[in-house]
Amino acid sequence: MTRATRPTARHRGGAQWAAWAFLAPVVLYLGAFYAYPLYRNLDLSLRHYTVRSFVQGDAPFTGLSNYGTVVDDPTFWPAVWHTAVFTGVSLAFQFSIGMALAVFFHQNFRLSATLRALFLVPWLLPLIVSASTWSWMLNSDSGIVNAALRLVGLDPVNWLTSPAWSLASVTIANIWIGIPFNLVVVYSGLQAVPAEIYEAAALDGARPWSTFWRITFPLLRPVSAITLLLGLIYTLKVFDIIWIMTKGGPADASTTLATWSYRLGFGNLLPAFGPGAAVGNLLIIAAMIFGLIYIRTQRRALS
Amino acid sequence: MRTKLRASLLALTLLGGLAACSTSGGDTGSGSAAGGTYTIWDPYPQYDDASAWVQLLGKCGTDAGVTVKRTGYDTSDLTNKALLAAQQGNSPDVLIVDNPVVSTLAEAGVLTTTDDNKLDISAIAPNLVAAGQTGGKTYGIPIGANTLALYYNKAVLTAAGVDPAAVKDWASLTAALGKVKAAGKKGITFSAIGTEEGSFQFLPWYWGSGADLRKLDSPEAVSALSLWNDWLKSGYAPNSVINNTQTTSWQEFATGQFAFAENGTWQLGNAKKAGFEYGIIPIPSKTGGTAPAPTGGEFVTAPVQKDTKRYTTTQKLIACLSSTDNALATDTTLSYIAATDAVQTKQVAANAELKVWVEAVKAAKGRTSDNLGTKYPKISEPMWKGFQAALSGGKSAQDAFTAAQTSAAAATK
Amino acid sequence: MSRGLKTGVGVVLTAIMLFPVYWMINVSLTRDTDMRDDPPHLFPLHGTLEGYRAVLDQQLPYLGNSLLIGLGTVLVTVALSAPAGYSLARLRPRGGGVLSFVLLVAQMIPSIIMAMGFYAIYLRLGVLNSTAGLILADSTIAVPFGVLIFTAFMSGIPAELTAAARIDGAGPLRTFWSVILPVSRNAVVTVSLFAFLWAWSDFVFATTLDGGGTQQPITLGIYHYIGNNNQQWNAIMATAVVASIPATLLLIVAQRYVAAGVTAGAVKD
Repeated sequence: MTRATRPTARHRGGAQWAAWAFLAPVVLYLGAFYAYPLYRNLDLSLRHYTVRSFVQGDAPFTGLSNYGTVVDDPTFWPAVWHTAVFTGVSLAFQFSIGMALAVFFHQNFRLSATLRALFLVPWLLPLIVSASTWSWMLNSDSGIVNAALRLVGLDPVNWLTSPAWSLASVTIANIWIGIPFNLVVVYSGLQAVPAEIYEAAALDGARPWSTFWRITFPLLRPVSAITLLLGLIYTLKVFDIIWIMTKGGPADASTTLATWSYRLGFGNLLPAFGPGAAVGNLLIIAAMIFGLIYIRTQRRALS
Repeated sequence: MRTKLRASLLALTLLGGLAACSTSGGDTGSGSAAGGTYTIWDPYPQYDDASAWVQLLGKCGTDAGVTVKRTGYDTSDLTNKALLAAQQGNSPDVLIVDNPVVSTLAEAGVLTTTDDNKLDISAIAPNLVAAGQTGGKTYGIPIGANTLALYYNKAVLTAAGVDPAAVKDWASLTAALGKVKAAGKKGITFSAIGTEEGSFQFLPWYWGSGADLRKLDSPEAVSALSLWNDWLKSGYAPNSVINNTQTTSWQEFATGQFAFAENGTWQLGNAKKAGFEYGIIPIPSKTGGTAPAPTGGEFVTAPVQKDTKRYTTTQKLIACLSSTDNALATDTTLSYIAATDAVQTKQVAANAELKVWVEAVKAAKGRTSDNLGTKYPKISEPMWKGFQAALSGGKSAQDAFTAAQTSAAAATK
Repeated sequence: MSRGLKTGVGVVLTAIMLFPVYWMINVSLTRDTDMRDDPPHLFPLHGTLEGYRAVLDQQLPYLGNSLLIGLGTVLVTVALSAPAGYSLARLRPRGGGVLSFVLLVAQMIPSIIMAMGFYAIYLRLGVLNSTAGLILADSTIAVPFGVLIFTAFMSGIPAELTAAARIDGAGPLRTFWSVILPVSRNAVVTVSLFAFLWAWSDFVFATTLDGGGTQQPITLGIYHYIGNNNQQWNAIMATAVVASIPATLLLIVAQRYVAAGVTAGAVKD
């Protein structure tokens, strides 16, 4: 592939102008829509807000004291741990199951296109419905999962009401909801791998597993990286599923930073906006760190 | 292929455009808009424009010479919406909210007092209006009240040999549950979820033990938690109570497999549809007698407006809503007990079954009364965390409530 | 594995994945008194259609609104993100890397914070409770993602195409419109798909910014059945079932196009 002739200095300047002209709508859009909420969130976390000062607007500036309150709270470290476990386990399973399904459906057998489309149905459902459906299925007494366990002679499990299982239950539901995203993105990455590579491998006598592991998987690395990063960002934000299924309970057993932030700011009778915003900002910082790691690895991969 | 895609997209857009007619909100009532538009927010999204409730709002508007624009919101969301709107100067003229929220909104300076809005509270039962009073001022009037009692399934109790009239205190109740379990049915269902709903359901037992909300670690308080805890351990109450809302708990009772359900007046309509004979007894206190139950039900409030001249019409709207006839209609629809003696008498006259509930409401207490005000939410949350910890097996009842008292005391300093 | 066997395995896997959806349909046909039966019923033996009756009576306008909002979001998202992706991928502006990072960060802000910020802005601009406002808000969910996808895809377009256009004297705008965009059809469809799905299932923006509006999406329509004290679960599930049907059909049609090279650029980079 040949490059076009190197542009002259004047043309290069003109090209920069054109580039930013195309970017202008998005830049304006970012400034208008994202900057203000981010600023508001920062402001909420740096002041001491009571309900009164939230409405009347005269909250005193208190620097990082909200962050201090949050870190000193006994819920903080459990929430961090739960967030790490929830995100890590969700990503691992969502990604591997999504990839396995993508590879499977890539083999173009009859109905593969329709079945692949049906896999996206979980995404169409409003979260209140999918989370509620999982709640119903995992109910200790009237849930189908426990009924099935009883059928095969196992003891029923208190999926949503025991501290030991509540985090696992919301993780399972989250994995279910996340599989379609991984499936779609990885599948389209697979589509881009030229068929000749597979043919060459087959000619060389490679078995399916080594074809996948030695050829397909390395070629999918960039796709995997972006899928995992986006998956991480989306999973860190997840709170509806947990909130609807367990409200972060029982006794904070399934509380993550996202649900805690929501509970502080919106989920109780007396909103504490400052700490809620502080937790939210901590989440954003965590996500930013991972974003920076991603960019470093991308740059290293390109060089 | 491409033209097909374009064609189907076009068809979809047309379809969307055709179907996208007005769905909700909008002006209710075809009165003369001489006085302008007044906004009303309520927590009853189940009522759409054709319902009796919304028609009543429109009619009150027409009578006051204005157009009413009503929006129904999810009740758990309404506090935040009210705060956000007040911050931006976009408060509605009439705001109907759940009663424990009133003190929060009052403290935020969102609501007017009866001094400003000139509402007449003289006819309203003092124990019901208390939830809307802090610092000696009144911030709204109750639209009606509801409270909790024990529904029972006659067939299940008869088969187990239990006489509901003999259930007078905790000991007899637990004994009855034992008999029901021995007969192969399930004992009692309630809601112990980790939200205000759980606290609401726990309070009759809490207050019934003689405990005070300011001391969560007192022996009486711990005995209330132990009551629930022991029921779960003995299998008299199902494990699902830890995650049950009051609706879910009612659905369990409606299967006919339970003897008792702790639930409220609003289930009366569903009780009739349940398909089995039911009865109601008041929630017993520990040593005998009726336990004080918390008052539920919404308050009608008038948020602060920049243009104070609006209060005159707002007062007319609210007076119309709470007039004897209108209150009777509203409370019958919502399945609440009225807040005034006059209307309560009419309710009992129309439906004698309600007598038990009227007595219960007379004995009920507001959650934010006893001058707790905005301290109540700071106590309620550690309390529900406490009983959730104990019921899910994580802590003993004593430990759970000792920890709860520590957080509550720290939060209410 | 033979092809027939693969189809069989595929069907079984799909069935397992969609079991919760089946359960949702099951609940939508169950009577109130049977909902919490222990043990639960696999089939709604004494079924009822009252949930569906309620939905068909009340929810069709909401469905239409959701469709409108979804399609509007798609248009706005593609219109904003395609040019930006083109610029980042082909025109290589200085500071493009920073912008990509900013786009990543933009996706990290929780929606409720965004919604609260928009409330203030919209109120001042007078677009609160309007469909156009909601479309703009919903697009904020999809635009950063769209830019990422378009950038990745457009990087992989062979340089000969743009070189040929340049030789013919086309400026950047003409190149974009006549050369890049037609070739990026698959990326357009992928971004449209995600934008539509995210707008379709959005609740936070709808309730904060269109709560009092006259044209509400289906996620708000569901609240007809979530009263302050009572919830009608069969109607709630029925709403979800009925709402899924047009969206599923759209998905099946669009799936054909979510094909080669969404992240082709990423693979070849």
